Amino acid sequence: MNGSVASRVSSIRRLLAAAQRVYERREQLSAVVSESTGLSTEGVELGFGYLERSASDADLTALVGAASEASHVHVILSANVFVAPLRALALAIATAPKVTVRPSARDPWLTRALVAALDSHSVEILDERNVASLDADSLHVYGRDATIAAVRAQARSGTQIRAHGPGLGVVVLTRDAEIDAAVAHVAVDVAAFDQRGCLSPRVVVVEGSLARATQVGEAMHRELALVAARVPRGRLDPQERAEARRWTDTISFAGRTWVGPEHAVGLGPEGELPTLPPVGRHVQIARAPSLELVRTLLEPTARFIVAVGTDDPARVRPVVPTHARLSPLGHMQRPPLDGPVDRRSS
Amino acid sequence: MARALERREPRPESFDSLACDLARFQAEYVPGYARLCAARGVEAVAIRQASEAPAVPTDAFKLAHVFAFDERAAGVTFRTSGTTLGARGAHSMRDTRTYDAVALAFARAMLGLEARVPVLVIGPPEDEAPDSSLAHMCALLSREVGVAESRDAFFVRGGTLELASLRDRVRLLPPETPALVLATSFALVHLLDEIGDERLALPAGSRLMQTGGFKGRSREVSAPELRRLLSRTFCLPERAIVSEYGMTELSSQFWEATLLDEGASPGVYAEPPWARVVPVDPETLAAVAPGSVGVARIEDLANVDSAFAIVTQDRVRRVPGGFELLGRLPGAPPRGCSIALDEILSGSESVP
Repeated sequence: MNGSVASRVSSIRRLLAAAQRVYERREQLSAVVSESTGLSTEGVELGFGYLERSASDADLTALVGAASEASHVHVILSANVFVAPLRALALAIATAPKVTVRPSARDPWLTRALVAALDSHSVEILDERNVASLDADSLHVYGRDATIAAVRAQARSGTQIRAHGPGLGVVVLTRDAEIDAAVAHVAVDVAAFDQRGCLSPRVVVVEGSLARATQVGEAMHRELALVAARVPRGRLDPQERAEARRWTDTISFAGRTWVGPEHAVGLGPEGELPTLPPVGRHVQIARAPSLELVRTLLEPTARFIVAVGTDDPARVRPVVPTHARLSPLGHMQRPPLDGPVDRRSS
Repeated sequence: MARALERREPRPESFDSLACDLARFQAEYVPGYARLCAARGVEAVAIRQASEAPAVPTDAFKLAHVFAFDERAAGVTFRTSGTTLGARGAHSMRDTRTYDAVALAFARAMLGLEARVPVLVIGPPEDEAPDSSLAHMCALLSREVGVAESRDAFFVRGGTLELASLRDRVRLLPPETPALVLATSFALVHLLDEIGDERLALPAGSRLMQTGGFKGRSREVSAPELRRLLSRTFCLPERAIVSEYGMTELSSQFWEATLLDEGASPGVYAEPPWARVVPVDPETLAAVAPGSVGVARIEDLANVDSAFAIVTQDRVRRVPGGFELLGRLPGAPPRGCSIALDEILSGSESVP
């Protein structure tokens, strides 16, 4: 590790230590985070569990190695899960000695808490909305495609822009997966952040027969009900509930659904990936007779897939997008702190 | 009723009665509809009014067969435009006789057509868009209400607006005979962009039907502005420019009534007696309070073999004389970085 890298790794470790302090006082933030995110109190607690507070030297070295060079990074946070600011700040610190950050207007709490806990002149809040007035030479933008496009349009000429757009999580269960155990893990990945994260699985592709896919649907229905008993789903807004109704009715017509008070699981139709389910613990099961057909099934959405969870990473790697992070089941929301969660080129 | 039976007159059936018959028929012969009824806890045999019957989301037409006959009996299939996920909605029919009968009957009524007229279609001929229900309807009107010269009066060919041919045809129109122009909104915008301040004066009494949105195929122009520009270009009163609202998933269409009724407002669509539009809450799918905005649940008794009730993502409001179209239901505002369906889907949902 050279001096520059070591220095940046050290800075990130100070951020992780700050995250630990915030985590220890998380009950002070729980209510406001619950209000802004719509998550239940238990959902906020589950989410805090995914806040990175430690990392290996190898991961942090990789993170710094993957970062570009700048003198001042300004981070713009808009639509993310509430613990995402940690990694965004880590990436910025890995890139530049000076970091400013504009917290999400909807959900500023963790960003402000982290910056306050870090207590460093090199990482500060800057609530500037006029992108053209920023003197940062690098912008890290987290948000919807429209937000990113607006920032690109307004940024000063020559400003380096690293964009982190929305994405999709997918699970691939191979023919060897033990269904009940696998699905219990997947249900936790689904429940985290009520599926509002780009790492959250919304589609489960099952290698094998229709009967096996049906077993997965039934198991998912059971497990999501069990998870809901421990971690109730939070508040869905009226439009989310409308999307849920529409998706559930569509899949009921076209295939089969299992609907619980706080979730729905859909299966089918055969041969294609149906319309994606909305967020809020809705899972689409799709069947692929072979792993090669998984690739075909996912192809229309490949560029949106950020994360893939699977029981057999070695067999599944060749058939999923190369940019997607591959994780064991139950760990989709915990990628190593070795770079951005979204590895698509920006 | 007895006297009617003695005179062998058919007993008029109410809309609800016919709708309930269709719901029961479709629950028996359309497997997806049976599944939807079961999922919603509705027993088709127990349905006593149309509103009790679940409506089929238009997305279902992309994912499943929505017809009550053997697939091999499908004589025609109309399709929506594609999306990023690849699925196109499909509405199959054994044949188009029912579709044609209702389309013609209501179009004739709403356009005030009593005799054949010259018809000009600013759109493709049917053989260039064989799975477009709109191309079919335009060809049908051209054939059934047009004079003989209308048969080849299509002015978009190979995706290109044939402006010179259109100019020639307009110039040759007999001045004493009103004409009928049928066009998509985006084709009209292309026409206006090309033609600038030029006039294509139509004979007195002519009328123009426009339909469809812009769907990224032209710049967007507001309905009042488009109406004003078309009025100027074709030298027509604005009330002679009527909009039609149709969907691939339906057999019936809805029309503005400005040609027939001096009190009718532009932007208000009238229903034929065999179809109705009910604004419903997008979550509960229950009818909203009178005057409130909901998504359109459309009950179309001409959809005999498919889905007599569909639910769309178009926002509507009931007003005197019909309903207003208020644009598409927006997607849920994002509260995370999980991608929204709106961001994945590209292209239009339902090009009729």
